[in-house]
Amino acid sequence: MEQQQEATIEPKKARTGIIDCDVHPYPRNTEEIRSYMKQPWRERYNGGGRGFYGNPVHGDRLDARPPQGGPSGSEPELLRRQLVDEYGYAHAILMPRAFCNLHPDPDFGNAIAAAYNDWLADTWLSKYNADGVFKGSITVNTQDPQAAAREIERWAGHPHFVQVMTDSGARAPFGQRQFYPIYEACEKFGLPFAIHPGTDGMGINVQPSPGFPTHYIEWHTCLSLGFQAHLVSFLTEGVFERFPRFKIVLVEGGVSWLAPLMWRLDAEYKALRYEVPWLKRKPSEYLRDHVRITSQPLERPDNDAYLLQMFEMMDAEHVLMFSSDYPHWDFDSPTRAFPKLPEALHRRIFSENAIEFYNL
Amino acid sequence: MKEAIDIARHVVGKVAEIPAGTRRMVVVEGRPIGVFNVNGTYYALKNSCPHQGAPLCLGTVTGMTLPSAPGEYNYGREGEIVRCPWHGWEFDIATGKSIFDPHKCLVKTYDVTVEAGEVPEVETYPVFVESGSVVVHV
Repeated sequence: MEQQQEATIEPKKARTGIIDCDVHPYPRNTEEIRSYMKQPWRERYNGGGRGFYGNPVHGDRLDARPPQGGPSGSEPELLRRQLVDEYGYAHAILMPRAFCNLHPDPDFGNAIAAAYNDWLADTWLSKYNADGVFKGSITVNTQDPQAAAREIERWAGHPHFVQVMTDSGARAPFGQRQFYPIYEACEKFGLPFAIHPGTDGMGINVQPSPGFPTHYIEWHTCLSLGFQAHLVSFLTEGVFERFPRFKIVLVEGGVSWLAPLMWRLDAEYKALRYEVPWLKRKPSEYLRDHVRITSQPLERPDNDAYLLQMFEMMDAEHVLMFSSDYPHWDFDSPTRAFPKLPEALHRRIFSENAIEFYNL
Repeated sequence: MKEAIDIARHVVGKVAEIPAGTRRMVVVEGRPIGVFNVNGTYYALKNSCPHQGAPLCLGTVTGMTLPSAPGEYNYGREGEIVRCPWHGWEFDIATGKSIFDPHKCLVKTYDVTVEAGEVPEVETYPVFVESGSVVVHV
């Protein structure tokens, strides 16, 4: 209102080839999603996000709010200017926030997932995507795995959908067999399965902590607990033996916990292999073939050397992919979030791992 | 050679153009700077957050929860804090120091003065304010 922006900084135009594995497009309003729904869902759907555990200050970058109104991430031109052009992206992997799997009614959840997929295909993956810079995620409702598999099949032939996604908030750890129809479809169509925070402890889902924490800072810090539980479940239940070409990506679940968790799991395996005889290798050995993890929010210790050691210990060269989480408040800048990396490692993290993982 | 580093003065606007509670973004010698009027006093901060380089001065000008005992909320310093538009870090507009670590995390500040207008035809305070200039020293 009172701001008088009299000078703006010229964006860098160089194409750096960065691939950002977590960018959030938003509909301009609820009606945009509702228009893709049939009755009775169209009348019933009122948008709505997570419900509670909101950021007490601001949940998105203030400078990402379109001047003409509407939510952050809803204006393709602004998103392109602040992200794609500013940093010279090759691709942005889009992850809409449907929050479809917090509903007790699975049919309602399915309707929301389908509407978001229709909307994304019509807008960000086509109308706004002449240069093909945007790649999308097929939203699925994990509380109805059969319907989720059909939704994957509906979109699998689309040139710009590159993965299947759902929230890390779930009713059970994701390695369990009730979810296998989803993984079977992912494998059949060669689409990775992405997990993103969203409905942890919301609606019908389990909170990944002992009960419900008081503050957003607790809830947000502990989101990584759910990811750890899902990963251990995927590895021990033998999902990657059952679906040998199935791949997962853990988005926005934290990074630096990976190495010590794998040390612990491998150590347990030596004694407890008896219980999970289908594992043909140490649990951690499945990682490079099946698991990727995205960087934001990157833990940044005061001593950069510690983080670089972590990268080495977790095999970041092969498993870590850059993400910014634009337009959210904890956005990681491609040029400022990381310490200086050896050039080859930088290339792996900022582009090559994603090119290979998504066949871009 | 003189020892002092050259400090140049840059007129960034008239006093009346930056009333209390508002700010103005300028670029001086290539440096993006935010000039704030906090309750009649002017301050200038580099428009770049020391964390990841966000345009800090475009953030919310607000108050803060003051240090308190567990379970207590005391709110104060309304209008004296700017909160980074990206990650929400709080900075004291007057000093450029962050609230959570004022000694290690701070943004560069610049001196600001208010100088009389060139034609102070009527020597009364309101006229002086109307015609004075806000000057940032870089």
